[in-house]
Amino acid sequence: MRLGGFRLARRDRASRKLAVVAPIAALLLSIALNLALYVAMGRNPVAVFHAMLIEPVTSWSSFSEVLLKMTPLLLIAQGLAIGFRAKVINIGAEGQFILGAIFASAIPVWFPQVTGAWVWPSMIALGGIGGMLWAIVPAIWRVRLNASEILVTLMMSLIAAQLLNFLLVGPWKDPMGFNFPQSVIFPLDATLPLLFPGTRVNVALAIALIWSVVCWFHIQRSFQGYQLIVGGLAPQAAGYAGYSQSRAIWMSLLIGGLAAGLAGAAEVAGPVGQLQRSIASGYGYSAIIVAYLGGLHPVGIVFSSLLIAILYIGGDNAMVSAGLPIAAVRVFQGSLLVCYLAAITLVRFRLIREPGGLRA
Amino acid sequence: MTSTLNRRGFLQTTAAATLGAGLLPGIARAQGEPLGVALIVPSPFGDVGWSHALAAALEPIKAEYGDRIKVTKLENIPEGPDADRIMNKAVADGNKFLIAGSFGYQNGAMQVARRNPDVSVLHASGFMVAPNFTPFAARNYQGTYLMGMAAAAVSKTGKLGSVSAFAIPELVSSINAFVLGAQAVNPDVEVSVVWVNSWFDPAKEQEAARALLSQGCDVIYSNAQDTPSVVSVCEEAGAYVFNLNSSMVKYAPTKYLGCVATDWTPFFLQSIKAHLDGSFEGHTAYLGLAEGVIKPMDWNADIPADVMTRITETQAQLADGSFHVFTGPIARQDGREAVAEGAALGDEDIVAMDWHVAGVTTPLPN
Repeated sequence: MRLGGFRLARRDRASRKLAVVAPIAALLLSIALNLALYVAMGRNPVAVFHAMLIEPVTSWSSFSEVLLKMTPLLLIAQGLAIGFRAKVINIGAEGQFILGAIFASAIPVWFPQVTGAWVWPSMIALGGIGGMLWAIVPAIWRVRLNASEILVTLMMSLIAAQLLNFLLVGPWKDPMGFNFPQSVIFPLDATLPLLFPGTRVNVALAIALIWSVVCWFHIQRSFQGYQLIVGGLAPQAAGYAGYSQSRAIWMSLLIGGLAAGLAGAAEVAGPVGQLQRSIASGYGYSAIIVAYLGGLHPVGIVFSSLLIAILYIGGDNAMVSAGLPIAAVRVFQGSLLVCYLAAITLVRFRLIREPGGLRA
Repeated sequence: MTSTLNRRGFLQTTAAATLGAGLLPGIARAQGEPLGVALIVPSPFGDVGWSHALAAALEPIKAEYGDRIKVTKLENIPEGPDADRIMNKAVADGNKFLIAGSFGYQNGAMQVARRNPDVSVLHASGFMVAPNFTPFAARNYQGTYLMGMAAAAVSKTGKLGSVSAFAIPELVSSINAFVLGAQAVNPDVEVSVVWVNSWFDPAKEQEAARALLSQGCDVIYSNAQDTPSVVSVCEEAGAYVFNLNSSMVKYAPTKYLGCVATDWTPFFLQSIKAHLDGSFEGHTAYLGLAEGVIKPMDWNADIPADVMTRITETQAQLADGSFHVFTGPIARQDGREAVAEGAALGDEDIVAMDWHVAGVTTPLPN
């Protein structure tokens, strides 16, 4: 790849030291760039910095919201990363998330008076099934028809959003809801138990952490995880070794769909407490960023989901406390990713000046 | 309505508990500190529309109170868990006066009010009330009745249309009043409605407006749309158009029929005063021409002079209460009687309206 008078060359061996320094440098660089922006906007950069990056981790009420926001990102990103490592690119987690939310909502929508300790676990299980069912379609298309799972999963997300709209303006609309496109408010037993009283953090966080451990075992300790990675790194070698490619595609998509479905169920049964259109708020897409930021590694993803959640909550805080417009918040979140990707590129590649490149 | 209240009874119970605790809002406020007022809305403030009108109403109040008030404006906050968190954060930051600018914030805003008895909350378009929680709404139907009279007078096809956000009672009643006003001038008008199920979706609004125009509608009512999309599409197509909240005349300089503007300043000012002197009391605030909240303006010069005279007279009668928009006989879409001859609908029926008057050709989603 050529950039002006320079060329990117892959390093023979990625520097370990750089791999640690680069993300930190990226973070510092984007903070510096944005603080300059806030000064130019006439805002107090210290107040913004405090609201955005310090307060979310020092105030318990803000940090509990970080944990709440992190939960769906962590669940989905761990599932997606398994597929990404096998080079099965499922970018339709948003749709699988919506289906999970819809399946979980079926219980309280059809039985609004339901009670019992079995209700929320069944909703979570149904959500996982819903997400998997939605991922079956792209799996069949890919395995049988060789259609790109990237396109099919993305298009399935658009269909899922329309299905949600249809249910909410039609059969699943709250009959007492003044015609607003939202379902009934779920009864208490159809909502997730809280982990810490006084916050909105619920058992879904525990599920996400257990899920992360399962994913770690899957990639580090299981033969199947090894097969998936080999299939991603060297498809032909995997073929010679007799690892089935279609099995890898099925596994990747089903696990990704399951995780996204669980997250969707946890969202409606957790902080939302009813099925409404705002549940489709982009967790499925953000989780792709989380997965890559975390280096597609289960441990890295725990940290990257925490970081992205802090940025979300911090951004909202900065809006409320430091009077930052929402657009400036988005600029910060975007510039952080750009700096990170640039830094990661420099870890794996180095810039070489082309002979005569300066004249070109 | 009754069953709704039963189903949401848990909130009433908690509201009663707050009352029982006898906590007076506003009293414990530290002296000398400015009052923090937070406004949260679901769409961008922009130059026009619902959110713009809410934000603009705070400007004269800022001018009057100066340093004694500090306003935080939060735009584009989706109704859901994020809004709940942001409202809690605003209150934790010391804001003692919260204006929740959308129906969808109801559950979250009520929780904030319940947990913070020293905070006063104004909530748009809702139905829940607590000692420190006042739902507010504008009697848009008074203004749309007048617009209906003008629309029927300028229409050549006798077909009118409306691009509407959600089929909630507030919007249904303003469409019905529009139809009744039009029928007062031309009893044969037909009105079609397209529900776009969004407050803010320029592409969908344009599409809906074009669909109505292609059906022969030549006056369009942009109902609770927070963008000027419908207005500019109508100007291009040469059809008259009007909207609510704030004037969009600059987007349709020749075909702008008028605006049912809302001026929240008197209401906000009164509520903030009440909060400061400790007399804030939750109640249903249903505000119209009489309170100066509904302000019809920017009437088009194409409206015939005789009809304009009638409109001005009717406006005066609505303001002084000698005329009521929903006075019988009114028939429903299916022909059944909705309001008997000589009777008039009470506020409780208007705020729960879930039926269309005869003359609306499209069915109401249910």
